[in-house]
Amino acid sequence: MAAGGPRAPDAPAPLYALTGVTKTFYKKRRTIYALRDLNLVIRAGDWLAVQGRTGQGKTTLLQILGGLDRPDSGAVIFGGEDIAQMREVHLTRMRAESVGFIFQTFNLVGTLSAADNVEAALIPLGIRAAERRRRVSAALENVGLADRARHLPSELSGGQQQRVAIARALVKEPRVVLADEPTGNLDEYTRDEMVALLEKLWRTLNLTLVIVTHDTRVARHARRIGTMTKGRLTINTVNEHR
Amino acid sequence: MFFFSYLLRELRSRKRQAIVMATGLALAIGLVITVSALSSGVRSAQGKILSSLYGVGTDISVTTPYTQSGFKQITPGQQGQRIDSLTDTALGTLKASSVRTISGLQHVAAAAGALILTEIKATIPAANAAPPTSFQPPVQISVVGVDIRQLGLGPLAAAKVIAGRTFAPAQTNARVTVVDLAYASSHHFKVGATVNIAGQPFTVIGLVRQAQASNPPDLYIPLARAQALSNLTGKVDTVFVRAASSAAVDTVTGEISRRLRSATVSNSASLAQGVTGSLKTTAELASRLGTWLAVLVLLMAFGVASLLTLAAVARRGREFGTLKALGWRSRRISAQLVGESIVTGIVGAAAGIALGMAGAYLVASSAPSLSAIVDTGNNSGKGGFGGTLGANGGFFRATLGGGPVQTVTNPTASHTVHLPFTAPVSVGAIVLAVVLAVAGALIAGSVGGWQIGRLRPAVALASAE
Repeated sequence: MAAGGPRAPDAPAPLYALTGVTKTFYKKRRTIYALRDLNLVIRAGDWLAVQGRTGQGKTTLLQILGGLDRPDSGAVIFGGEDIAQMREVHLTRMRAESVGFIFQTFNLVGTLSAADNVEAALIPLGIRAAERRRRVSAALENVGLADRARHLPSELSGGQQQRVAIARALVKEPRVVLADEPTGNLDEYTRDEMVALLEKLWRTLNLTLVIVTHDTRVARHARRIGTMTKGRLTINTVNEHR
Repeated sequence: MFFFSYLLRELRSRKRQAIVMATGLALAIGLVITVSALSSGVRSAQGKILSSLYGVGTDISVTTPYTQSGFKQITPGQQGQRIDSLTDTALGTLKASSVRTISGLQHVAAAAGALILTEIKATIPAANAAPPTSFQPPVQISVVGVDIRQLGLGPLAAAKVIAGRTFAPAQTNARVTVVDLAYASSHHFKVGATVNIAGQPFTVIGLVRQAQASNPPDLYIPLARAQALSNLTGKVDTVFVRAASSAAVDTVTGEISRRLRSATVSNSASLAQGVTGSLKTTAELASRLGTWLAVLVLLMAFGVASLLTLAAVARRGREFGTLKALGWRSRRISAQLVGESIVTGIVGAAAGIALGMAGAYLVASSAPSLSAIVDTGNNSGKGGFGGTLGANGGFFRATLGGGPVQTVTNPTASHTVHLPFTAPVSVGAIVLAVVLAVAGALIAGSVGGWQIGRLRPAVALASAE
């Protein structure tokens, strides 16, 4: 049975439906099973937190969900299309239009200002410059960094950099946000601030959010919490009230 | 605009790499420009030498080897003798009808005959006279008879009229002369003056200057008059030929050789063979070593630029991986990289042009003047281009004290022409420099772009910054 569980009559349609997804890496004659026959359903508006020790396949799952990598076998249906079989050009388009990424190390371009980093997410969409500027301002406003728009990443704290990364992920109004250890490089206080921000945005923007994290205090904010063990995902907790 | 803003910020932040790449390209471009200027200077010098020997507009010259002994025995008599004769001392003669024959050949645009003569003025003492207290060397003056109907071809074609005028169509047999400026200056001749040639008075109607590299004759007179004075009526010793097109030169050369079997037919290719000296050495240096060196350095610069770009792609792996995650197409990322390379290339081109101009200036100012040893002999068999303007290679030797006096023609004479070395930087060379720099940048950028295309986003994101 898919890790998404049975669908309630009024539940939203699945955004993702993964069936029999397998991904294997070969390292020094060793075979590493990052994902083994993984089945998962993620509905629109869901918040899934994936926990697990290092090397259990969490990041691989996120990369396959985001179209950054392809499974060896299985289907990854996203919005009705199997992205595992999609041509590279369509996959790139899918990432540009529908997926927002948040990385543990923020991955901001060091030479670009906060505003330019956020704007970079709109470049592939062919949006006019004036509209881009408007949306960038709104996104930075949303994360409380309107006054730091011209600052370079090196002039911002870790928390502020992650806010810029969140603004960059959200500025394109994606269908899903995929966050890989988004609080991994932050102190506790900033981590809590960041989680509070993500939760606020999730609620107000009706986001679909998938977070990979070690941190239980981050994971417990999610609607569903799963654990990855040796490439298999088990959903342990479902917070129906969230 | 996002593209330029990103591009300039990246270049600013990676100044060192950009400077190394631009410097490499600048050195290569500078060398290309210097070598090109050097070649251009050498080509220009060669052109001056060849055109002075050959005449502007001449594609082929036809001469015949000197068949006489080269010695004209003069026996001193009881009385002293004054000799003033106009003779053909360097070349054999051709019938004037050869000019018509050549004119009628296919692919021949024009042909003009000329007589290249030497006037020798000497005083021969009586056989029994006491040896003079001082040696009076004989005087020799080079005189060329020119075809007045074809002044655009032949000895006067390249001459610049400094004073007076050149021959009029009606002066085919007139006693008028055009004088070389240097000769006129040294003998204080002006337009309107009278010059005696072989005992006959000629009026100076013009002063002309030939190209710097030439060894010009002293006097020009109408061909018919030259033929009469030298007892060579109906003869010429050189035929200047202009082919209908440059492509036809070899064909016409072959056809004339076939028709006039005893004649020596030369074109610019064979003419250049006879030019030796530092000009030839420099030309060879510029064309061989210089060109290969420039190509080698250029390839190295392109290689270094490409390697630096590849290294940059590897170093910026996470950045490019992030852009791919954001939905940037590989082509768009490559364009960004190529843009950075092109800006670096343009900076390199600008610096390279400055370096090249400085290099060309240094070479031109520090290099000694070029010398070309021009073989003017017509009997050597292989060269055969002599006898045009440099025909006065013969010399006169007099033995005093009652012995025989000999007029000797040196059949393998040569003369050395000195030319200041120039290394002009042409607009073409600058355009070539910019094109090469941009091409180098494009190659480097494309190599980087190819690497970006192969970059898998998941792998790139995992790479260290």
